[in-house]
Amino acid sequence: MKNSLSKIFLFLIFTFLFLGVYGQNRFPKPEFDSGYEQPSPTKPEPRSNAMEILDVFVLLAALSLSSWLAIKKRSRQGILWLSIFSIIYFGFYREGCVCSVGAIQNVALAFFDSGYKISLTILAFFLLPLIFALFFGRSFCAGVCPLGAIQDLLVINPISVPSWIRKTLDFVPYLYLGFAVLFAATGTDFIICRYDPFIGIFRMNAPYIMIILGIAFLLLGMFFARPYCRAFCPYGVLLNWMSKVSKWHMTITPDECIKCKLCEPSCPFDAIEIPIDEKERTEDTVRKNVRRFSIYAILIPLWMLAGGFAISKAHVFLSRANPDVFLAELMITNPELIDDTENLDIQTFLESGKTMEQLVEEASVIRMKFKKGGWFLGAFLGLVIGVMVMNQFKMRKQDIYEPHKGNCFSCARCMDFCPVEKKI
Amino acid sequence: MLISGIFTLFIASLLIFNFWHMKKNDPIENEIIATFVERLASDPRNEEIMVEIRNLDLLARKAYFTSIWQVNVGSYILLFAGIIFALALKINTDLRRKITLPEGSDEKLFPSRIISQRWLLISGLTIIGFALLAGFLGKDQLKNFSPQHAAAFSRDSIDESIEVIQLVDPEANPVLTTDTPVENGQAEDNTNANEISIPAASASSKTYYGIEDFKKNQNTFRGALGHGISYSKNIPVDWDGASGKNIKWKVATTKSGFNSPVIWEDKIFISGGDKTARIVSCFDRHKGQLIWEKEVKDIPGSPAAPPRTTDDTGLAAPTMAVDGYYVYAIFGTGDIIAFDLDGNRIWARNLGVPDNHYGHSSSLIVWENKLIVQYDSGKGGRMLVLYTETGETIWDIKRPNLISWSSPILVDDKGKMQVVTSTDPYVAGYDLETGNELWKVECMMGEVAPSPGYYNGLIYATNEYAILAAIDPAAGPAVVWENDEYLAEVSSPVASDGILYIATSYGVLVAYDALTGEKYWEHEFNNGFYSSPMVADGKLYIIDMGGVMHIISADKTGNIIGQPELGEDGYALPAFADNRLYFRTNTSLYCIEEE
Repeated sequence: MKNSLSKIFLFLIFTFLFLGVYGQNRFPKPEFDSGYEQPSPTKPEPRSNAMEILDVFVLLAALSLSSWLAIKKRSRQGILWLSIFSIIYFGFYREGCVCSVGAIQNVALAFFDSGYKISLTILAFFLLPLIFALFFGRSFCAGVCPLGAIQDLLVINPISVPSWIRKTLDFVPYLYLGFAVLFAATGTDFIICRYDPFIGIFRMNAPYIMIILGIAFLLLGMFFARPYCRAFCPYGVLLNWMSKVSKWHMTITPDECIKCKLCEPSCPFDAIEIPIDEKERTEDTVRKNVRRFSIYAILIPLWMLAGGFAISKAHVFLSRANPDVFLAELMITNPELIDDTENLDIQTFLESGKTMEQLVEEASVIRMKFKKGGWFLGAFLGLVIGVMVMNQFKMRKQDIYEPHKGNCFSCARCMDFCPVEKKI
Repeated sequence: MLISGIFTLFIASLLIFNFWHMKKNDPIENEIIATFVERLASDPRNEEIMVEIRNLDLLARKAYFTSIWQVNVGSYILLFAGIIFALALKINTDLRRKITLPEGSDEKLFPSRIISQRWLLISGLTIIGFALLAGFLGKDQLKNFSPQHAAAFSRDSIDESIEVIQLVDPEANPVLTTDTPVENGQAEDNTNANEISIPAASASSKTYYGIEDFKKNQNTFRGALGHGISYSKNIPVDWDGASGKNIKWKVATTKSGFNSPVIWEDKIFISGGDKTARIVSCFDRHKGQLIWEKEVKDIPGSPAAPPRTTDDTGLAAPTMAVDGYYVYAIFGTGDIIAFDLDGNRIWARNLGVPDNHYGHSSSLIVWENKLIVQYDSGKGGRMLVLYTETGETIWDIKRPNLISWSSPILVDDKGKMQVVTSTDPYVAGYDLETGNELWKVECMMGEVAPSPGYYNGLIYATNEYAILAAIDPAAGPAVVWENDEYLAEVSSPVASDGILYIATSYGVLVAYDALTGEKYWEHEFNNGFYSSPMVADGKLYIIDMGGVMHIISADKTGNIIGQPELGEDGYALPAFADNRLYFRTNTSLYCIEEE
């Protein structure tokens, strides 16, 4: 009873806290009679070159410290304090920008648009965490990423979710990553930044819906730890890949695992690999798994083809997210809107001096990019689904407790649960 | 933890209450004030009510802004309290977490994997299903685009209130039609990139004017071939706009523009433009009389409304070119037009509205039957050469450079004419005949506005945040020397008699040895320079942004000869002629001659 009451108390505090902040945020924005809506803030004020270099150095230092704390020092407390620093520096002070998560889009745009020049700072923010993950695991997620840190701070009473839910949710970041790259590559939008749920909190300024989304994520995170990191973060996909092959990943035990099971409930992210019960590995199970594995492996190209065809087919629908395509279609279907002086998009277009032919031509080019990109995106998603399904039947040995190298955030919680001490 | 939690709740509640209170007491919609306003309406001269309204209004606004301050401060306290609370919570739940015995899971590995596989399959198939559904339901409306739609959004259908000045009878000056259709109305980047198509009509037997004629007439931006050298003599060094000293004549211009005047014999030409119209004007350069003025209109493909430009660029920034037969003008709308020297329209076309956030500013340059247009924009680099007789495209290349605002110059390379341009990221030379790139050096960056300079086989290029580079195209090409002490933002480098001159936007004028880069002298003035220097009659002329002309001896001494002014802001480079100078300001055209 006491426990339930305290949970309700906590829930109320957080709900009120965020609503209070919301009350402040909404007020200063002016309202326009014309129906103009405040754009979502996706970028803070520009920063001087020297300060950008400082940011890169701070990132480098934070990554080094995080790796050292997780692998060498094995200090959960140290990582917690680093998280607080990251929330203050990369979150509130730097207003969540430039962030490595969003940098995916800059890299994608630079790759596909020769006219776009990516700054070295953005490139460093994109690459450094990946390079560190390649050597030390996801030390970026541990205590450097402000998005992860703010969620981590509010992990109160995490529950373990069934593995089928986790595995299904594992697919969502791939989906998000794929669409983010497609939208960035076509110059349509930076959706990761636009729909970043925590940016409004860091900037103390965001549209209503994003504030609600941020609050929802944080409240959900009290029970389903780090929901954004686990079920959405597109950068997490890349970090996962790198971390899987990391050279020096943190370990639960400083020495040999004695399989005491004490660490089993320690991970709020269900990222501990548990030894497989050999009793389950019957001859019949093995045979069936091998057969299923082979069938799904053969089906992967089919998944890719079907995915590519389907997403490419949806290019007309998807490309409407591009403002030029949307405007061109709007003007074709509603020519009477030329008289609508309150339609700012059309009025801006008319003032730009562009001809309708030009707009339609540009929109058609963008639509074709979506068609082509749709094939790549669909094939990628098909490949991911195919491999994920196939991997369900991968037979491998697991006889000790160890972190899942791809999914582990290197938060170091589990270490305190291990009774083993390092032999000198 | 409990204390911080209660404090956080308290602050949050206060903030929410304050927010609600502010919403309720909007000073703009104050009911009491509204009642007083109603009373005032029935008794408009009642001073008492007026004072009462003012006091109430002041009170309401004070209360309102105090509330805003409270909310701002409160939200920071709330944030601070929230952080303290989160920390306390963290220490309590995480760092002091007790190790418990695992409860054990009922989940069996392989059966749970079968369920995972099922849900993954469902997810994959759902996405494919939704994508296919969206694909079949999504109708491509772009394919329904027809000329009717274009007409609906054409110039005629919008903004009837805009006053269009009628300066010329379109019937009297019809658009010249050619056998080869020009690319009217096409999108800016919709060109036949890299295709060289010299029209049959270009095989004209006409005799074109050459370099000696261009030296006598300042026919393009920065004089003959764009090198910034005038060959005119006895250029005035003393005048005063306020007293009228040595002002031979002054005429008001119809439309403003930042382009410089160009001269052919007895005529002087300028262009101008704003949102309502673009014009080309021709004056008698001896008497200042307007000979003709034509509106640039009725050009197929010209935009319904001109694109937005900044005030310091406008729609008529590019300087025109004149070749002795025709005068050519280009505008920020992408319209390019040719008139004969009597004002008869020869041809006109639209090159596509430039995607240019300041406005198109690159000036035209002409050589024999070729009109050179540097048309870099936000969509990338582009350069065209048009046939002067018809406006047909001789060549049109897309280039991998970024948008620029500089103008091309011509360089005579052993009898073969080269077009040289400076852009981000490179300075490059092109064969005028074919458009083939002959050389390039990557040394520029940023928003390149200064045009290249030329002296004795060396090309000079500069831009703020880049470098000042002296390039020898024949040596590789290679950068012979470079410097980054003083860099021009808009003004173009000029070199003459072994000395290179650079003018910065922060008012420094500096002279270097053109061959070695050794600095000879520098002057710092109060106003910055956007205009480019010209060397004429052994002197360097440059007008600053305050309208002061600085006349300096064009040698290693750099002695200041005079600093006359017109009393009007001026940005455009003046046109030089024997005994004369022609200034174009925002409102007037001046002729200066020393008595």
